Amino acid sequence: MSPECSRVLDALGQPLPPELAAHVASCAECRALVEGFDALEPVEAPAMKVAVPARALEELAAHPTPTPWWREVLMLMGAYVGLTALGALALTPLGLMLNSAPPGVVAGLALLVLLAMVGGAVVALAPMRRMAWGLVGTCTAVVALSVVLGGSGLAVKGFLAGAIGCMRTHMLLSALPLLSALVMLRRSAYHPARAVAAGLSAGAVGLLLLHVHCPDGSAAHLAASHVGPWLLLGGLALLVRSRLPTDNHTP
Amino acid sequence: MTRFCQGDSRAFDALFQRYARPIHGYLARLTGSPAAAEDLSQQTFLSMVRGRGRFQEGARVKPWLYAIATNAARDWQRRKRPEDLTDEGELPTSVAVEEPGPRDAGLERAVQRALEQLPEGQRIPIVLHRFEGMGFAEIAESMGLTESAVKVRAHRGYARLRELLATLREETNG
Repeated sequence: MSPECSRVLDALGQPLPPELAAHVASCAECRALVEGFDALEPVEAPAMKVAVPARALEELAAHPTPTPWWREVLMLMGAYVGLTALGALALTPLGLMLNSAPPGVVAGLALLVLLAMVGGAVVALAPMRRMAWGLVGTCTAVVALSVVLGGSGLAVKGFLAGAIGCMRTHMLLSALPLLSALVMLRRSAYHPARAVAAGLSAGAVGLLLLHVHCPDGSAAHLAASHVGPWLLLGGLALLVRSRLPTDNHTP
Repeated sequence: MTRFCQGDSRAFDALFQRYARPIHGYLARLTGSPAAAEDLSQQTFLSMVRGRGRFQEGARVKPWLYAIATNAARDWQRRKRPEDLTDEGELPTSVAVEEPGPRDAGLERAVQRALEQLPEGQRIPIVLHRFEGMGFAEIAESMGLTESAVKVRAHRGYARLRELLATLREETNG
């Protein structure tokens, strides 16, 4: 679309200045545009009486102070922290810090996963109009690759036995965070990118605990049993959220 | 909007009086169902109250409100029975019950049929632009797109409408 075409669009419904009229005469697309516009004569909305929404007035009287969106992010983060602590307590008898990679790598990756947890919660709940699929995809790829490539390389168990154990632990650790995220997600309009971000953010609880706890650091194990279920949780959140009713349609 | 965000019910009343009818008309055009439009209007204003903490200071009210209405209509579409949707699984665009006496019933029907055949991504900018009188910057704000993306969609949509109308006229005449 040329700058002239864009100006024609802006001038629709008004008399076109001579230079734009000349452009329309020479541009087939703009002729089609103007004819399409003219074909749609605006129809005045009928004089209907829309009932004052009583529930909205009740809601306003009951909650005169609005809840800022960041408070919901803090609530979700609070739930994640509490559930991470519970998960850590549950894993302590088996040994919480069994990752044999260098401590700097373990700490760095843990920080990255924590950032994914916080960032995912913000993307899921912040009132953003433009949903950044690119940002969600890039961050997911960075975290996934870092976790897979940042392992100790040590294979402790057989692939299948290790995979089943870690997947089960991952799902158990992430179930309640995912539930919390889905509850929060219903408080704003459905958007697939929000749902995926929420699922990944909730899955980061399981990913973080497995990252420090699991002694198996082979790339195959990390990809299939740590990162795989994490990605799966993103998809699961999307699937479940798309079927849940929405409490609030604000963007 | 600031007073409304602080819980002032008179400010809510003022917003409701100003936007209730246009929002109802917009929802009726999007859903094709007066009953659904009534219900979705109520949901839109209820969401506005519940979600006013998500309103960003300095933003415009109208695009925000239309974004809520569009989201409510999409949500309605997602939970609707499949037989009530268009072949593309999108919102139908029928306004037959809501409109006053048509200028030309045949033309009116042709326009509605043509609108129905547009993909939702082109139809919403056109309905907001042509019927709701919104500028492209406002539509972009409402749809969460860039202004140029909205213009491209509207440009293609209007051009496609003209093609569809020509085809429908040929069918009628033939």
